[in-house]
Amino acid sequence: MLSYVVRRLLLALPALLGLVFLTFVLSRVIPGDPAATLAGDAATPAQLAEIRAQYGLDRPILEQAVIHIRQVLTGDFGRSVFSGRPVAEEIGQRLPATLELTFAALFLSTILGIPLGLLAAVNHNGPVDHLVRLLSVGGLAMASFWLAIMLQLVFSMDLDILPLRGRVDVEIGMPPWRTGLVLIDSLLAGRLDMFWDGLLHLVLPAVTLCLPGLATIARFTRSGVLETLQKDFVLYARAAGYGRVRLNAIYVLRNAVNMVVTQIGLLFGALISGAVAVEAIFDWPGLGTYAVQAILSADYKALLAVTLVVGVVYAVVNVLVDVAQALIDPRVAEDAR
Amino acid sequence: MGFRRLRAAILAAALGVVATPALAQQQRPMVWGDSLPATLDPHAIFDVPSQFVLLNAYDGLYRYQGNPPDLRPWLAESHTTSADGLSWEFTLRAGIKFQDGSEMTAEDVVYSFRRLLSMNRAPAAAFSPVLRPENVTATGPRTVRFVLSSPYAPFLSAIPLVAIVNPRVLAQHTVNNDWGAAWLASNSAGSGAYRIDPATYQARVSMDMTRFADHFLGWGHNQRPIEQVRSRPVMETSTRVLALLRGEIDATDSYLPTDQVERVERNNRTRVARDESMRVFIIRMNNRKPPFDNRDARLCFAHAFNYEGFNNTILRGLVVRNGSPNPNNLWGNPPDLQPYTYDLALARQHCDRARAAGAPLDREIEVHVQNELEQTVQAAQMYQADLRRVGVNLRIVPNTWAGITGATGRAESTPDMWVHWVSTYFVDPENWIGQMYDSQFHGTWKASSWYSNAEVDTLLRRARASLDQAERQTLYQQATRLVVADSPDIWVYNTLNLRGLSRRVQGYQFSPVGSGGEMRLMSLAN
Repeated sequence: MLSYVVRRLLLALPALLGLVFLTFVLSRVIPGDPAATLAGDAATPAQLAEIRAQYGLDRPILEQAVIHIRQVLTGDFGRSVFSGRPVAEEIGQRLPATLELTFAALFLSTILGIPLGLLAAVNHNGPVDHLVRLLSVGGLAMASFWLAIMLQLVFSMDLDILPLRGRVDVEIGMPPWRTGLVLIDSLLAGRLDMFWDGLLHLVLPAVTLCLPGLATIARFTRSGVLETLQKDFVLYARAAGYGRVRLNAIYVLRNAVNMVVTQIGLLFGALISGAVAVEAIFDWPGLGTYAVQAILSADYKALLAVTLVVGVVYAVVNVLVDVAQALIDPRVAEDAR
Repeated sequence: MGFRRLRAAILAAALGVVATPALAQQQRPMVWGDSLPATLDPHAIFDVPSQFVLLNAYDGLYRYQGNPPDLRPWLAESHTTSADGLSWEFTLRAGIKFQDGSEMTAEDVVYSFRRLLSMNRAPAAAFSPVLRPENVTATGPRTVRFVLSSPYAPFLSAIPLVAIVNPRVLAQHTVNNDWGAAWLASNSAGSGAYRIDPATYQARVSMDMTRFADHFLGWGHNQRPIEQVRSRPVMETSTRVLALLRGEIDATDSYLPTDQVERVERNNRTRVARDESMRVFIIRMNNRKPPFDNRDARLCFAHAFNYEGFNNTILRGLVVRNGSPNPNNLWGNPPDLQPYTYDLALARQHCDRARAAGAPLDREIEVHVQNELEQTVQAAQMYQADLRRVGVNLRIVPNTWAGITGATGRAESTPDMWVHWVSTYFVDPENWIGQMYDSQFHGTWKASSWYSNAEVDTLLRRARASLDQAERQTLYQQATRLVVADSPDIWVYNTLNLRGLSRRVQGYQFSPVGSGGEMRLMSLAN
């Protein structure tokens, strides 16, 4: 198993290197001048030229790309041209917020999507199946920014039961920083008030973000279960007298879920990109809003670092998914040898 | 049970405490929902958000307050100017303390200006053409002398741009002769009325400030000063407005969309502060690129914009028509100046004349808008429809501020047209007509129409050098007449700043410099 994991990790390296190079070139050919951002509103052409020289922005793009890759390999992401602060430090502040939101959404998608898909399959073409299909299509079709605003209007403004924006209440504040994840840090600090406050703030963004994932997982679970139900072993199990619930929940689901696990890996990437809109509307200070601000201010150093960090997280999650698949179905690891 | 009561109950249960009367009396912090600047270093950047840090965490020798803005002695109690306008001497008040308790001296002012000029970032642009670091000297413990290389009348107007920093604090954090810039990007070293808590600072996300009780002006003017300020910029407009209505923030930014004004005013917990600012909305034309190198073509465009429709219908009359580069409420405008009117028949005549002279009005014209600023898009869309009626094809190109200003360094890369505002950096016609239409500023975004007129250059340079206010007024009026007649750009309106405020915010005082973000003047009602 260890060699399988190492092999998967090594395969991710060239992809990440390509990602760094490609995003660098793209970020430097799109319109926008980082020097203009850095210099501020009242800068003169001479000041802009000085900044370009200072940051190496006046060198050929390929030379800049090589320098950048060399810096990244030593763990140096440079300084943000917007704030002048180390990009690694800024990302370190933002990443936990996005991970907390994304994992919460993934968790909701999974724990709701799999049972819904299973229910739909075992009630094939019945009312439950139609209802789940309706929910799935709606979940995939609904624009997240629209849903986010609707949830805000209903649950924050009208019912006044959930917070509108942010990660924590301004009067309660953040727990002492350990992991950057509010829920975990507040528990580590023994602050149940902060935990509860953080949880309430997480509800609306996580629900908004989870919906497309939930729909996807429900659809894949449904089709996987339907396919599995046609297999001979299910017929034999039924003949052997296995109960319906035990058969479906354990044997059928385990055989059907492999495809769903692959989807969860792919979904993670979609959730991170979906987080951009959700973070902006819920004022969630994560990587999504950071990336948007970096684009608007032509902060290419920040943008490159965000892309790479998301790429790394995505690669790691997919390796974890591969491992999970191999654990569920040992034939996967065997086939990969 | 509402969310707040539910939360309070859970809080009490979790903490195992019962709220005491003292706790109930505790002032909820002011939550300020306006933008934060890119960096906290007041010498590294100068834009509208950075004025918030400048006004609260720092002090300058002079400060603008009120509307119309009045330049008042601040750290300086007075100043003198030599007859030739080259030497300026400022006298500091006695007993000014930095936030670390050390006393401010003239040497600290010298250090601050030398730091500004040596770093040579945006706020230095107003001084660097006429002031060298070595020409700022302390002539006594409380007197500072500035010797300019040439007379520069807007010098005093630009003085409030410069924050006085504490060199003793910066010395502890200076690395590789960087003037402490890396450290000051996320910390503060000033004497201002509020102290920034660096532990809570997160760029673009949050900044907490606590009242500095020993501020040199004291707090006698304010019976209930705000103790804690939490700056929490809200990115999305809709969320910002909802957060205000719900009481999560006490103030929005000062660009509340006009379609939200009524909604905010209807709520019994909120109001809208409306103040005429000095922020001119402009559609630029690149005068170096055909067809805009032809005056008739420019006049065609000037008459094809529906000023009344845009200002009164789209913006619901919450702006003031402004027909020249300077804001209406600033001195230096000719009193009899007539702004261009929306007249498609006249526009057609000018377009026909331009075409006859060979101006390529049939080519597609690009107008770059700042996609995140809705008004720039709305103006372009309306303009597109009207221009089509005079046979001009306008293409709207979504862009960003950084994208556009990065391209304005050269005439070839400057867009055909683009839409933006010119805000108040300092209160002098130099900030508008001076830096927009004197050809010596070509290459800056402010002068991105690439307008060139030798007579205008002469008038603006004479106005810049003269210390006689009456003469300056006349020179700017003459220059404005010439510029408006040449129609290098389309001046649309002067902004009415609209800031959504919680009704518990008292003492809010707008000034075009800083947009009313001076916390020292405000208090919070129970």
